[in-house]
Amino acid sequence: MMTDAKTLAYINMYAVLGTLENLCELDKEASELVKTKKPVSIGLEVKGGPSATLTFLNGRCRMEQGTADCDFLLPFSTPEKFNAMVDGTGSALPSKGFSKVFFLLKKFIPLTDILSKYLRPTEEDLKDDKFFEISTKLMFYVITVALSQIGNNDEIGKFSASLIPDGIIDVSIKDCVSATIQVKDSHMITIKEKPEAFRSQMQFCDIRTARALFDGKINAIASIGEGKVEMHGLINMIDNVNRILDRVALYLA
Amino acid sequence: MSFPVYNTEKSREMFSRATKVIPSGIYGHLGPAEGQFIPVSKWPMFAEKAKGTYVWDVDGNKYIDYMCAYGPNVLGYCDPDVDAAAAKQTALGNCTTQPGKVMVECAELLVDTVATADWAFFAKNGNDATQGAIMCARAYTHRKKVIMFSGYYHGVSPWCQKIDYPGVLPEDVANNIMLPWNDIPLLERTIEENKNEIACLIAQPYDHGNFHDNAFPEEGFWPKVREICTKNDIVLIVDDVRAGFRLDLAGSDHFFGFEADLICFCKALANGYNMSAICGKEFLKGAMSSLAYTGSYWLSAVPFAACIANINKMKALDIPTMFKQKGEKLCNGLVKAGKEHGIDLVVSGAPALFYLRIGNDDSMLLHQEWIAEMVSRGIFLASHHNHFINASLSDKDIKRTIEIGEECFGIVAKNHPELFR
Repeated sequence: MMTDAKTLAYINMYAVLGTLENLCELDKEASELVKTKKPVSIGLEVKGGPSATLTFLNGRCRMEQGTADCDFLLPFSTPEKFNAMVDGTGSALPSKGFSKVFFLLKKFIPLTDILSKYLRPTEEDLKDDKFFEISTKLMFYVITVALSQIGNNDEIGKFSASLIPDGIIDVSIKDCVSATIQVKDSHMITIKEKPEAFRSQMQFCDIRTARALFDGKINAIASIGEGKVEMHGLINMIDNVNRILDRVALYLA
Repeated sequence: MSFPVYNTEKSREMFSRATKVIPSGIYGHLGPAEGQFIPVSKWPMFAEKAKGTYVWDVDGNKYIDYMCAYGPNVLGYCDPDVDAAAAKQTALGNCTTQPGKVMVECAELLVDTVATADWAFFAKNGNDATQGAIMCARAYTHRKKVIMFSGYYHGVSPWCQKIDYPGVLPEDVANNIMLPWNDIPLLERTIEENKNEIACLIAQPYDHGNFHDNAFPEEGFWPKVREICTKNDIVLIVDDVRAGFRLDLAGSDHFFGFEADLICFCKALANGYNMSAICGKEFLKGAMSSLAYTGSYWLSAVPFAACIANINKMKALDIPTMFKQKGEKLCNGLVKAGKEHGIDLVVSGAPALFYLRIGNDDSMLLHQEWIAEMVSRGIFLASHHNHFINASLSDKDIKRTIEIGEECFGIVAKNHPELFR
């Protein structure tokens, strides 16, 4: 099935680059790299697409929508150019804040390299338990945020989202990591924390199962039968989320 | 009285074997994912044997089965009269180069039984019937678009799935128009906007979709739809695969006071023997004849013999009246048992195909909990789908179901003191 560049730009912005927030929390090297005394903020603006600002302070990273208050701005004239930058096949030049080029080249780009290492790991890397855990948690965040972006932007994803009843879906890896997916009038928002209450829940029984599913090494339906993936509550919410999940794999392939 | 909780260990072992050699282990509606086995540990996955209204799983547990194989079990599993007719035909021949004369006898019986039927066309599954009906309508009208009502389920052919389903192309569903039930002005406007492009309207006789209360259409809805379809040369198809014969032996269109042009049957047609049928009006017989549409087993004789015995027995037993009474007795008893514990069990749809939902929360969590407790004590229900009555269900079975129901309501209430004091 077709994918579209604009939806991919939303995924790249909020699901992939947005995961820098979590990377800085989970990986010490990443946190050290962006340990600044004064905040530095990078605006990313895609014409006809998403725009967001990443702010770095004290080894932490935070993403907010819009670029109004950024120190320097990376503008992209098309979603394709932005996607190429994220993919490592294109580059970007700041339109303001040239004095921050050092941060861009020496901090931001190496930081995204660390993220790539976790999101596209080698089999060897995954043998390290700590690496495995961080990599899987980051993948979990990328996937759960991408779900909402596809549900809000991709044509087929929007159809799936239109069939999700309003409410909160809890997506979790048991005793590990959770995300809240809020659905209201077919619009989806992912919040990277566990909800207090939910209308439906999809829970992976452990991190190994989650990883195997993310990597396509085990079958999701069989895993439900084996009790490795549990569903509770209003299952038609999860049913339609799973339709979108199919497209997540397509976009992130 | 306390009812023992079943162990389903052997089902788990068998499922583990199944996943190695069968995609998903058990795929489709009988499987743990689509069948909503929540939590999976409480459910049987494989049957050892079945008789009447009961199924025994591979662990030896006995269940009163209210899913009835999702409909085909209408008289009771292994009904002696139907099985005898099938056995007699088996001795004569089943899948042969020439169809058995029993095919003609079966078609004649359907024409005599189903109000709208001037002819009968045979296939195997419900999906074969709905697919054939759509093709017939397109062949007759030379139009491509199909109107369906929300909550529809017409099978698994790509055209009747949804655009976001795996393996389905946008082109497969490009000619589908989905409308809400009961909105006649919108139906008329849609037809006007697609003038001379709509081949057919296909719908179940009432909204018996999953995950929501089932509902009959508003008074006068069907006769008006009939009138609009006639006026616009649109073939009106009733998908009676699920509800067929349980509401009315003459067809569910007859039950709702109108006549379909084509009506599709499967589940209750032959009490578990593998066949489906399209019945139609004379003016569509030529179009149906023109289709390149058949299959290796479609004209096999044994299911026809079973079908004849089944229909005759359903007539003798007055199945629709019996099912209404049994369904009402069961549902009223369960509702009353729920009230004892402050639980609001909502019953909807026809009593013969009752749909249940605990109304105390909007997440189905309480309902799934209750259903799981029921299943693990031998009452096989589903949390997301309508249920089915069969003729072998006795008053004693209903009584036991209500008793177990009450115990399970009590367990749910006890588990949630914050909700039920």
